[in-house]
Amino acid sequence: MTTAPFFTYSRTALQRLFDWKVRGVRWIEIIGVALVAIMIVSVYAAKAAAARESSRIAQLEQDIRENGQRVRLLRAEVARLEQPARLESLSRQIGMAPVDVHRQAKEAQLTELKPMPVPTAPAHPAVAPAAAPAVADDAAPAPETVR
Amino acid sequence: MSVQDHRYHRPAPGVDLQGRLSPFWRWLSETVWRLEHGFERARADARPEEDTRVRIFLILIVFSCVFGALAIGASYKALIAEANGRGSGINPNALVRGDLTDRNGELLATNIIHYGLYIDPAEIWDRDLAYRQIRRALPRISAERLKRVLGGERRLIALTGLTPQEKAAVHDLALGGVTFEPEDRRAYPLGTSAVHLIGDADTGGRGVSGAELAFNDEIRAAGQRGESFPLSIDLRVQGVLENELAAAAIKAQAKGAVGIVTDVQTGEVLGMASWPTFNSSNRNAAPDGATLNRAVSGHYEMGSVFKTFTVAAGLDTGRADMNTLFDASQAFQIGDRKIKDFHAQNRVMTLEEVYLHSSNIGTSQLAVQMGPDTMRDYFRRLGLLDASTIELKESAKPVVPRRWDNSTLASLSFGYGIMITPAQMVQAMGALTNGGRMIPLSLRKGGARGAQPQQVVTEETSRTILDLLRRNVVKGSGGFADAPGLRVGGKTGSANKLVNGRYDPSHALGSFAAVFPVDGPLNGKRYAILIVMDEPGTYPKTGAYVAAPAVKNIADRIAGFLGVERREDRWRTALGEKVPEYQDVAGDGL
Repeated sequence: MTTAPFFTYSRTALQRLFDWKVRGVRWIEIIGVALVAIMIVSVYAAKAAAARESSRIAQLEQDIRENGQRVRLLRAEVARLEQPARLESLSRQIGMAPVDVHRQAKEAQLTELKPMPVPTAPAHPAVAPAAAPAVADDAAPAPETVR
Repeated sequence: MSVQDHRYHRPAPGVDLQGRLSPFWRWLSETVWRLEHGFERARADARPEEDTRVRIFLILIVFSCVFGALAIGASYKALIAEANGRGSGINPNALVRGDLTDRNGELLATNIIHYGLYIDPAEIWDRDLAYRQIRRALPRISAERLKRVLGGERRLIALTGLTPQEKAAVHDLALGGVTFEPEDRRAYPLGTSAVHLIGDADTGGRGVSGAELAFNDEIRAAGQRGESFPLSIDLRVQGVLENELAAAAIKAQAKGAVGIVTDVQTGEVLGMASWPTFNSSNRNAAPDGATLNRAVSGHYEMGSVFKTFTVAAGLDTGRADMNTLFDASQAFQIGDRKIKDFHAQNRVMTLEEVYLHSSNIGTSQLAVQMGPDTMRDYFRRLGLLDASTIELKESAKPVVPRRWDNSTLASLSFGYGIMITPAQMVQAMGALTNGGRMIPLSLRKGGARGAQPQQVVTEETSRTILDLLRRNVVKGSGGFADAPGLRVGGKTGSANKLVNGRYDPSHALGSFAAVFPVDGPLNGKRYAILIVMDEPGTYPKTGAYVAAPAVKNIADRIAGFLGVERREDRWRTALGEKVPEYQDVAGDGL
């Protein structure tokens, strides 16, 4: 009873749509089938692309994992080779030892150990190269005086 | 159409079990009933076409709703929801356990894929040849086991834990029936270095000792995130500490030795070594007692290094100052017991002299004057009565005296009658030299989490102790520890061990507890070094000879790593020579 007005209202439009035919086949059905076909193809394409992407991601992650393992292996090898006890015994073997305090100097002390070469007057460029090292060597103090 | 009663076809559970039916089921069955027979009702009302339309319309709505919901759900999944589907969800760097590193990211422990060797004898043509070849490529495989597997019927595991190199060696034999299966294993590339403090983890990925056990959950959580877990250790400091400790222990022919380096301001342990060591990959071949981490599990009567605590308590309570006099002209009598000095001066001494000459008589008098309550209070504050707060589960409780009578107090004042771990010792030294704040010792980079430092002695006391420690190196027993220009302060300790109920001088303990640099602000950069030599075999066995030189070498070599510059102070130049201008004219020792 309540649905009757709805049917009467839309009947003409719907009727026309369903009556629109070609060679006895409704256009609405042809359009529907075409849409469904397009949808199937596009969904298939999207799924195939997604599968390809996801296998590529898996492949990359596998690569990352393998590389990570290789990096860890190499890091472990580095750590093994750099064992403090090993390094110490190797350096002792070739006669190396901690540097004596008297042979240590800070950057600021460099000029004290060996004064900066006195820049000679630019007027005599020919003399300068020979003179400068001689001055520096003479001025270098003996290690005892530095202490 | 039919005359029979349609109610007869009503769904079975409806009528018969009336009493047990819920109202919902009753409603459902009636609705189905009405729908099923609506067609007939409509025909009865002479409006069959209307009923069909209603049905089609209803079905249309239901299907539209379902498909609409599906379409919305699919679109949401495809476009909006986070892409955490297959493959991309798990961190490709995730591990069962994160790498363990030092504070600068140097590797201490890592997970490496090892391989299990499986052999299927049915696929092997020449078993004798295979046996010989595998034995040659993999010498550590058990001959018996290999023979049993090759002689068997089924595919069996012959050996676990093959390294990638070993796997390659066996693989290159190109034997049929030999396969490998990967297994994730913990590897400790440092061999004997830091082996006690790193500890180890079982094949199931659970920590069983050392830092691996102490930080087990955090290491596993870090592994899941693909991160590493940093410890407070500085591998450079650790290396120097181990090498110098081993050299000193071998030189002193000690039974065991302990070395600890800490940052007194943060409580971080920068190096911790226990000698003898062993190789973590071959724990079974470890020498007797080598697997014990003496730094946190070894109990020792520390001897004179305890005088620092007694003097600190005396200064802090106001019971004594640097000029308070103690009569050490004769032995101190407590009941039947006579307390004598090792380096007897036989005179009246100030507190400073008591400390510099390491007078048992002086510190005993001070301890007895302070009484048991004060002594116990200060020992508790300095953490000497409880296990060290370091995270290691091996951290042992001290052996403390039951009675605190005068004789015990005297013994405690110079480090007898209480057995503590070296970790406790270094923790207490830190508190006395960082301005008086008790900061828990920690192996965590950045120090213990959420630690609330407690003021255990005043800043003034801390300053005085620093001064005393330095004077003891410059003028007292710690001369061999004076690394040039690094302002080392420290106290020697020498104790005899209790053997068969009596203190035996041939079983001694030599120690040196140092801090450097002692100058600068109280909260400035400062590091503590503790060296303990257990039962040195050479003479003299005192801390000044067996432990102090190692402290000097260690401070000398690690100062550069820690950014401590060489500088002169009032006693020594930056190169370690005596300051010539300094003349003790007044003879007051200042």
